[in-house]
Amino acid sequence: MSIVQVVVPRVLAALGLMLLNGVVLIYMLRKVLGHLHLRLGPMENGWHGIAQTTFDVLKLLTKEDPTPKAVDKALYFIAPAIVFVPSLMAYAALPFSNSVRIVNLELGLLFTFAVLSLVPLGILAAGWSSNNKWSLLGGMRAVGSQISYEVPMLLAALPVVMMAGSMNLGDIVRAQQPLWFIYNVPAFILFFVAGLIESGQTPFDLAEADSELVSGFATEYASMKFGLLFLSEFSNTFIFAALTVTLFLGGWGIPFVPEAIMQPIAPLVFMIKTYLVIYLLMVIRGTLPRVRVDQLLTLGWKFLLPVSIAWVMITGLVIKLGQTVFGGAQ
Amino acid sequence: MTRIFGTGILRSLLLSFRQQRRGTITVQYPRERLVLPERARWAVEIKPHEGVEHTCTGCRACEKACPDYIIRLDITINEDRSKVIDLWHYELGACMMCGLCVEACPFDAIRMGHNYELAVTDPADLCVDLLVESPAHEPKRKVAAATPPPGPVEHGVPVPSTVDSAATESSATPEGSDDV
Repeated sequence: MSIVQVVVPRVLAALGLMLLNGVVLIYMLRKVLGHLHLRLGPMENGWHGIAQTTFDVLKLLTKEDPTPKAVDKALYFIAPAIVFVPSLMAYAALPFSNSVRIVNLELGLLFTFAVLSLVPLGILAAGWSSNNKWSLLGGMRAVGSQISYEVPMLLAALPVVMMAGSMNLGDIVRAQQPLWFIYNVPAFILFFVAGLIESGQTPFDLAEADSELVSGFATEYASMKFGLLFLSEFSNTFIFAALTVTLFLGGWGIPFVPEAIMQPIAPLVFMIKTYLVIYLLMVIRGTLPRVRVDQLLTLGWKFLLPVSIAWVMITGLVIKLGQTVFGGAQ
Repeated sequence: MTRIFGTGILRSLLLSFRQQRRGTITVQYPRERLVLPERARWAVEIKPHEGVEHTCTGCRACEKACPDYIIRLDITINEDRSKVIDLWHYELGACMMCGLCVEACPFDAIRMGHNYELAVTDPADLCVDLLVESPAHEPKRKVAAATPPPGPVEHGVPVPSTVDSAATESSATPEGSDDV
């Protein structure tokens, strides 16, 4: 098999999954928020409005695509791609089951974080090139929050890496076979909060804060360029939820169920868990008000960073102690 | 009650989960409709009575009562002193649905309708003619119909109020068809 035959179907599969996720997540968001507000959400197109997002995408695709006069043309056109491509690449390492994955990367966790850290670059490019002060503010906020939260997020994932002894996401899932890593509660909470900010979810959605910055870096974009920005945002949400599931909630596994039984239903279990986490994210989105920029950065630098460093040390110490105490007996 | 720092977030999330179990309160309007309360006040319309087209005598009490001056009755008095209502003009666009015309009407000829789908595409359509070229009603009795005005209601039965009916009668007499 040539490399093209290997690569093209996998990239297309990731793309398909991403688009499908985007469509499903937008519908799900509107339904969940609707029911939170005692509303119904979309109800008109199809059974309970199930075709609503399809029509929305069709509308986005057929819309006029105006370019504002004073934008920085090159950056303006390339920014959605810079945002979109990393969030597509981040699907590569996600393990849907023992065998269903796009590539089996030894440093899957590191790869995912590295690729996702390109997203703020694209967002800043979008904000800067739009030549609009609200967009620029949105872009700056996105970069400010996402760069400062990458560190605590990675540090919060480190205890898991230490416990599993691997950065391969598949190995991490296998290491959680009897007991999920969520028992490391502080690491989970740190990772969850940092991930909320990283994926721009609502209590920390300063980058696009609709009520203050119109829609932040995406203000000047229309048609499918906006669609790409929007899609990559939902895709980041999915990746963050999938990472949470992989690192802390046992990935595709169910405790005490042998591998042979899990094999056919593993991707389904993984998706269900991921969607439950996304549901939690949406409830948080519908509940908590937005924080201020200074509160966000204070939380990041003065609380999450020191606590996550301390927790990495504590976890390391406990693992080492465990190995010395119980390892000798074995 | 002392509260632990940070638990407010958890409590708010619990509240959100509880809200989702309450079920929706949306009424899907074109397909589902709320039942209007009996005294809902929308556009003025001619009240149907049995046996007659309407009971308007052309007394113009409503015209005088209207605070917005949007009711206009064009009346022709024939030689035999019978009246014809040429036009019962009602400007829906400026009506504030106060219902004073209905209260003023001594012959119970109009009522506040329950049709709330009043949007039109042409502003001219908001000027409605409720009656056109219609002979005025000759009432059998010369006093007002005994409609209980909106008053205190006790156990579902309107409390008879002598003051109100007396007021209606006294106001009806000079406005009625006798003085024409």
